[in-house]
Amino acid sequence: MSESEIDTNVADGSDSSKDVYENDFVPYINKWGRRTNLLAVALSFGPAVALLTVFGILPPTQAVIGAFISVAATYGIFWLVEPLSYYPVLGIPGTYMAFLSGNISNLRLPCAAAAQESADVQTGTPQGSIISTIAIAASIAVNTTLLGVGAFALVSAFQALPALWQNALDSYLVPAVFGAIFAQFGRDYPKVAGVGFTLALAMTTLLELGFLNFLPGYPLYVVIIVSVFGTILIARWMWENGMIHPPDDS
Amino acid sequence: MEWCEPPIAVLAYMDIANSRWLWLSTLPVVSVVLFQAAIFLRRAWADGKEMGLSDEQLKTGFKTGVISAIGPAVAVLVGMLALIATVGGPVAWMRLTVIGSVAFELPAAELGVSQFGYSLGDGDISETAYATAVWSMTLGGTGWLLVSALGTPHMEKARQKLGNGKEKLIPIISSAAMLGAFAYFLTGEVAAGTPETGSVAVGGLVMLVLLRIADKRDIQWLREWALGTAMIVGLLVGVVLQVTVGSWW
Repeated sequence: MSESEIDTNVADGSDSSKDVYENDFVPYINKWGRRTNLLAVALSFGPAVALLTVFGILPPTQAVIGAFISVAATYGIFWLVEPLSYYPVLGIPGTYMAFLSGNISNLRLPCAAAAQESADVQTGTPQGSIISTIAIAASIAVNTTLLGVGAFALVSAFQALPALWQNALDSYLVPAVFGAIFAQFGRDYPKVAGVGFTLALAMTTLLELGFLNFLPGYPLYVVIIVSVFGTILIARWMWENGMIHPPDDS
Repeated sequence: MEWCEPPIAVLAYMDIANSRWLWLSTLPVVSVVLFQAAIFLRRAWADGKEMGLSDEQLKTGFKTGVISAIGPAVAVLVGMLALIATVGGPVAWMRLTVIGSVAFELPAAELGVSQFGYSLGDGDISETAYATAVWSMTLGGTGWLLVSALGTPHMEKARQKLGNGKEKLIPIISSAAMLGAFAYFLTGEVAAGTPETGSVAVGGLVMLVLLRIADKRDIQWLREWALGTAMIVGLLVGVVLQVTVGSWW
């Protein structure tokens, strides 16, 4: 039976590699991840401070508070839900990096997932976490450079593109990425993919029809919570009942 | 997005928004992002080797990260145009390199200027309203940074609880989380219209076919290019659908 083979494989390599990961890698990442992300909180005020000190522009406190409350009411729930939901996929280093660098669903997650597939490591394992760290670091280098060059120079080139293509790049690249990543993971667990899609579709429909309006705020957060954690719980139940198996890591 | 509109009139605050001082003010935080990526990368490479990952695997991981990032980064760049037009180049660049995505930053900026009764794109937005938008984006973005900075070490507990500590369950839990999250993303796209739905479906199909061929014949480079190819084909199908049938819903 292939399952027992996998067992010994994992046990062989994993004792020492798990030690390195847990006693060496993770403490380093936690130490520096916390420092760099907190530093970034302070430094992200750069433009606001420049407006104040160089140009003497300070908005009235009331306006800032009003704006903050509106933003917090709309997005505050995502401050908690997104890190919690993406953590199982991003791993510890990926969580620090992705929430520092942004563009998670459209850029960091697809890069991490594609890299794990091509390096042939499993999501959620220490090896998977190492590879996703490397891939996310690579993606940060790419998008910082591209956006930097773009903000300076490429803007006019894009404005010269026909409107159809500007709209297309804006609208259709991202859904194609979503479909591709979903298919990649669905290949290993088609039943779980079916469950996830059904849950998300049902919740989105309920949201669109207004059945979730009894909840406070705009209840999009319920859709993501139910989609992610509902799929996890059902997958766990399916595994306990022998309905799904991890793929052979050949 | 309003790509078809005539060029937006030059706004009064734009001289400030695109000034050298604002470019300079964004450099420190962008440096932190690059610094973190660099030290994490170095450490992951060294420890990964010690953990028995081959040079080949590490290089493949890096290469795939680069290749897969190009398409989405170009897409972000296009979305950035909307931000450049409203909050200027430096702030747009910084917000999309640190923390943000267009989907958060534009509404946050809108909520900022709306405190003064303006809407983004209005010709007469005051400097003060612009500054409020900058504060609004900045303060709104700190939530994610603080939660990730302080909460990450504790998230393992939440995950173990869900996985019940069973080792073999972890890959299943992780894949299920990924499938749940992407199911949520893609139902949003499906709801958006027919071309988006076509892009989702074709992107998925191309990925399935390419990975299948790569597995059968053991072609490594195909795995690295699978996502990039799926993206381009999905994009083309979206355009074709938009031009031919439009959107049915």
